Amino acid sequence: MKSNWHETIQRYLDGLLSAEEVTELHEALYENAELRALYLDYINLDVALGTAAEAALLGENGIGKTAIFPRPPARLSTPSWRWLGATAACAALVVFAMLSTHRDSSRARPDIDATLSSTQSAIARLSVEPASPLPAWMSPTASLLDQSQTSE
Amino acid sequence: MSDLNHQHQDQFLRLFAENEPVLRTFVRSLVPSLADTSEVMQEVAVVLWQKFAEFDATRDFRKWAFGVARYEVLAYLRDRARDRHVFNDELVGRLADDAAATAPQHEAQRDALETCLQKLTEAQRTLVLSAYARDTRMNELATQRGQTAMSLYKLLHRIRQALLHCVRRQLRLEVLT
Repeated sequence: MKSNWHETIQRYLDGLLSAEEVTELHEALYENAELRALYLDYINLDVALGTAAEAALLGENGIGKTAIFPRPPARLSTPSWRWLGATAACAALVVFAMLSTHRDSSRARPDIDATLSSTQSAIARLSVEPASPLPAWMSPTASLLDQSQTSE
Repeated sequence: MSDLNHQHQDQFLRLFAENEPVLRTFVRSLVPSLADTSEVMQEVAVVLWQKFAEFDATRDFRKWAFGVARYEVLAYLRDRARDRHVFNDELVGRLADDAAATAPQHEAQRDALETCLQKLTEAQRTLVLSAYARDTRMNELATQRGQTAMSLYKLLHRIRQALLHCVRRQLRLEVLT
């Protein structure tokens, strides 16, 4: 297996690959089971690090307790694309949890459509994603690459 | 709302919450970005709930949810087929099969990650978690650190590679002990 697949996969996850490199990666992933395993391991790590960062911020694990993860000083008004997913999932769970919590105080039976409608509305309200979501291929890192290449 | 419906909701909540991390990883492996993952996961959550009444509780919820998610991913990607970052159906099929098969292994890797994060230096740990923190933008983080964006990415790549080696090694050690 090509020695720099580690780098290629990570650059793919960060949105830094050129079109040619993306095509090469897709073809290699299709052919090579070992590479698919490596890719899936990196995907898993990527998702887990997002969760770990959130947990550290909340001080809910050992890392947070030792205060080794100060919040980065600069914050943006625009949301990070990394966290859109977690927010949406939490929103869905919160809505379902609310339905369960308040079930005893409401004897009326909401129908499924109403439930789903409220769930979707809540997701839309609670998600930090803007009303017009980012295109599928677009991430902040893509524009970053352009800037970096320009500056180098 | 009847007790039966309450139980139904509770059961769904419990199963969904329990399987959300593996489901998210599964979806993330099939779509180009985390933004795509977010969109697909919203649809998956809604469809799973809509279809939950049809779910046979004696069956494996995860396997059923993976099947639903795979269908939703394919529908999502077909709408974006002209995007060069999008996998074709054949590759999605192979990745989906592999991802479903390795889900237990990936759960173990996630458990091992905390140990591996503690093995990093404090500076490395702070950096990698900062990079993944909500609202962080890499170019701004690089500026704060007095680095170019590309040098920051290279540093992060080395840390992630070290973490991946660590979690894999941890699992091998666990198998041996």
